[in-house]
Amino acid sequence: MKERLHDKSNAQQTQDPIYQVRNVSVAFDMDRGTSRVLDDIDLDIERGEILGVVGESGSGKSMFADSLLNAVVSPGQLGGEVIYNTEDGQSVDVTELTDEELRKFRWQEASMVFQGAQDSFNPTRKIRTHFVETLDAHDADIEDGMDRARELLSDLYLEPDQVLNSYPHELSGGMKQRTLIALSMLLDPEVIVMDEPTAALDLLMQQSIVRLIREIKGKYDVTIIFITHDLPLLAELADRLAVMYAFEFVEIGLTDGILEEPSHPYTRALLNSTPNIFAPVEDMTAIEGSAPDPVNVPTGCSYHPRCPMATDACVESDPGYYETNANHGVKCHYWEDVDNAIPLQVTADETRQVDVPAYGPVAMGTDRTPVLTLDDAEVHFESSQGLFAEPDAVRAVDGISLDIYENEVIALIGESGCGKTTLGKTAIGLQRPTGGSVSFRGQDIWDAKDGHGDVEIPHEAIRQSLQIIHQDPGSAINPNRTVRHTLELPLKHYNDELDMGDRQARILGMLETVGMTPPEDYADRYPHQLSGGEKQRVTLIRALLMEPDLILADEAISALDVSLRVEMMDLMLDLQEIFDTAFLFISHDFSNARYITEKSGGRIGVMYLGEIVEIGTVDEIINNPKHPYTKSLVWATPDLDETGENEDVPLRKIDIPDARNPPSGCRFHTRCPEARETCARKKPVLVGDGGNTHEVSCFRDVPNHEYWDSPELMNDEPSDETPTEK
Amino acid sequence: MNWYIRRTLQALLTVYGVITFTFVLIRIMPGGPMESMRAQLIQQHQGSLTTEDMERINRIVETRVNIDPDQPLYTQYVDYVSSVLTGDLGQSTWHQAPVMDLLIERLPWTIFLMGSSITLSFALGITLGAIMAYKEGTILDVGLSSYSTFMTSVPYYVVAVLLVYFLGYQWDYFPIQGRMAPQTTPGLNYPFLAGVAYHLVLPVISVVITGMGGRALAMRGNSVRVMGDDFIRVARLRGLKPRTIAIQYVGRNALLPMYTNLMLAVGFMFGGAIILEEIFGYRGLGQLMYSSIGNRDLPLMMGCFLLITMTVVIALFIADLTYGKLDPRVQSGERHESF
Ligand code: SF4
Ligand code: SF4
Repeated sequence: MKERLHDKSNAQQTQDPIYQVRNVSVAFDMDRGTSRVLDDIDLDIERGEILGVVGESGSGKSMFADSLLNAVVSPGQLGGEVIYNTEDGQSVDVTELTDEELRKFRWQEASMVFQGAQDSFNPTRKIRTHFVETLDAHDADIEDGMDRARELLSDLYLEPDQVLNSYPHELSGGMKQRTLIALSMLLDPEVIVMDEPTAALDLLMQQSIVRLIREIKGKYDVTIIFITHDLPLLAELADRLAVMYAFEFVEIGLTDGILEEPSHPYTRALLNSTPNIFAPVEDMTAIEGSAPDPVNVPTGCSYHPRCPMATDACVESDPGYYETNANHGVKCHYWEDVDNAIPLQVTADETRQVDVPAYGPVAMGTDRTPVLTLDDAEVHFESSQGLFAEPDAVRAVDGISLDIYENEVIALIGESGCGKTTLGKTAIGLQRPTGGSVSFRGQDIWDAKDGHGDVEIPHEAIRQSLQIIHQDPGSAINPNRTVRHTLELPLKHYNDELDMGDRQARILGMLETVGMTPPEDYADRYPHQLSGGEKQRVTLIRALLMEPDLILADEAISALDVSLRVEMMDLMLDLQEIFDTAFLFISHDFSNARYITEKSGGRIGVMYLGEIVEIGTVDEIINNPKHPYTKSLVWATPDLDETGENEDVPLRKIDIPDARNPPSGCRFHTRCPEARETCARKKPVLVGDGGNTHEVSCFRDVPNHEYWDSPELMNDEPSDETPTEK
Repeated sequence: MNWYIRRTLQALLTVYGVITFTFVLIRIMPGGPMESMRAQLIQQHQGSLTTEDMERINRIVETRVNIDPDQPLYTQYVDYVSSVLTGDLGQSTWHQAPVMDLLIERLPWTIFLMGSSITLSFALGITLGAIMAYKEGTILDVGLSSYSTFMTSVPYYVVAVLLVYFLGYQWDYFPIQGRMAPQTTPGLNYPFLAGVAYHLVLPVISVVITGMGGRALAMRGNSVRVMGDDFIRVARLRGLKPRTIAIQYVGRNALLPMYTNLMLAVGFMFGGAIILEEIFGYRGLGQLMYSSIGNRDLPLMMGCFLLITMTVVIALFIADLTYGKLDPRVQSGERHESF
């Protein structure tokens, strides 16, 4: 083994490095100058560890992944040495391998799981072919290899034969991602580089995959380099963390050390900007400024333009690695002072006192009439398959009853495909239910539209009272109209007794209320002159000008930056109070749902496969979840205090069943860790316990139910023929 | 409703619509084909017309276009549709023979001519496009791209006329017209087949030269796009052999969009043959159609019109039904229709 003596990074942190990365740079020649997307990196990776690499997009973290496999795409040029040490003590410089050696090295020694797993498979070939051709290309034994593939797939909670016989598009995102992980381990590599392997998946799936990666790492004894922008994900997974900023590592150390005593101002800012279900959202702050341009990296410490502690010394000299202790290196001159200069947001347990809701729970009062009532509403979409197959119905919304009261805020959460968006649209009359009814103050919306029976509230008035704010404000406003013009239209349409002056006054007043000042200036702007948050405000004003009774906010803040989200939610709540509207807030993010409902004393509804499985106040849902599904969602929401470190995935299966053919009995029984035989036969109903706001659809909530005497459900899937009793 | 059934019904409905359309054209339109045919006959008839003559003329018109004007309209209509469906397209006025027989005699020749042109132009275009894509940005790519772009904008008949003039008249390398060597007997004998091939060279070349460029550019674009996809990168990292990647990964996926193009070309093949065959004096369907216009042979024109539209409808129908077999993502065809 060649000895490398010029160690200057974290060499002392490792004993048996599998990778020694020395002076590695990646440069692109551009017209504007040389773009350095990786800047003189030094790093050792220990055999058998999980190294987490965290950084914002554009920090160079994907380039780091590529350089480990010498897979930087041209015209990028990889410089420096990437030493790979095999188990039996040989060293090779990956940058100097011939094409054929490199072809062998990749996938046999080091493999990679990509960011875009969704497109990592050839759409015209079956999954099995992908496995076989990989074995073939490396002259491996096909039969042994496929046995290993099956084992890997079932370790990843997949049905091997079903997956192997599928085409890529037939698998869900989470399944594809896990299949890709299995494919990456097919040739028993020593190292797997995972570049954002869970991005674009639901939280529950992300967390499940992270658990599985840990398990699989233990079983197959590999080294994993896990690259992500999502710090909380790494908190539970990685042994060591490397924080990347401006194309270099600014802090490297053991995960606990970095989370508890982050010593670089950037790391601290990153931690403070991370959403956390148990920490107050008010404390979340986004990092000011933007990531540097690779052509023009700031002199000295590259973080100085954004660093609150920067001094002249920082501009002049680039800090080297300072050792805070033997296992922790940081690139900052003033790391000893960060504790005082940039306090960390208070962590979990200390803040777990529920804010007193500003308005008190609204739903409690039984004397109120609901603004909107869904009664056993159903929306089934048809989808036909194959030549003579019966068309299947996708039960997007399946028998949901829900009352929304005056001024109430209800948040609906659930994994993608659970039907929450369809339910929202049904509630405000944008989607006609295929069964059941939707009524506004007692008037059936669709009867009003069709003119059936006695129409007490005309359809026009109902439409005015039910408004929507979309996820993407850009597409919801006409780009060729000024803000004033956009806002005038609804006023003219629904409120024609107002004269010009009144209309103008109202619009300007609203703009001012939402903080777009000076209003005269904003009124004459076109949408492209507004930021995302401002556009979203315009759509909010437009909805409010109709004086609605209920506004549907469909993922309305998901597209905004973390810091803007809080602001936007606050604004919605303020306006809600002024305008006396109810909000139906749809989100895939538990933290946001918690924030908006906690502040307004609203309720959270949890949806699963077209049904509401649990609904209640924030306190009830987050601190006392009763339904096993709600529990798993809470489990999956990031929290930094690592209490859940050794918990297993609280699910028996991690994939959502096909909505065309939902499981019998309780729909959750195929995944529910508590499922017993009764659950596969009988269907629980949503019930509260006496005048309470908390309603759950699970037998475990029913004392003396036959569930308790029923034997535990075996792991195998009950056959489809299982009769369903209602 | 099931997509396949719906698509089949749709195709049948189109066929039916086309037949009805020709009926309307012939029967209802004032001054339409039937009227003009009667006028033609009257003109040909010297001297004054007796009622008997009139009746005879009407009978001729009737057998020729399959419509008996004395019947009530709906009976005429039913008769017309059923005779078309049973393959009776009427009598050609010029050739004095059933339209169907004329079409069937010419059909193989045109299928042969256009089939080889289409096959060659696709095969060459696709190969060329794939090569250009692999050499993206090189002189070869730039040169071939510019050449292809230029050739696509030249109409095939210009090339055809030039070829006939130089290679035919001036240098006498190739026959200037006809479809087979004289004094050969059709059948599986060498002189006949060689003669046929010899006569095919010029027309095929003129189609291939001009048609190939467009295919090549399309294939190049598709391949370049596919090569940028993630799964190609993953395939390379997985260490697959470059050959496998080129054929099974890039090629296979780049070809998918070309398939619809191919079926369209097949569908429009008879329409495209009209001018080509006329220039080369090639006795195929196209020429038959062309002459029927000159001869004001209305039943024949109608027959040709029906044939052309039917081919288009059938080709697109096949394209839709089979596309799902090529692209597993399009199973029931819900998201893919050629039109
Ligand atoms: S070196 Fe200076 S600018 Fe850089 S992070 Fe430390 S304090 Fe901030
Ligand atoms: S009813 Fe049974 S399967 Fe359904 S959530 Fe409750 S315990 Fe789980």
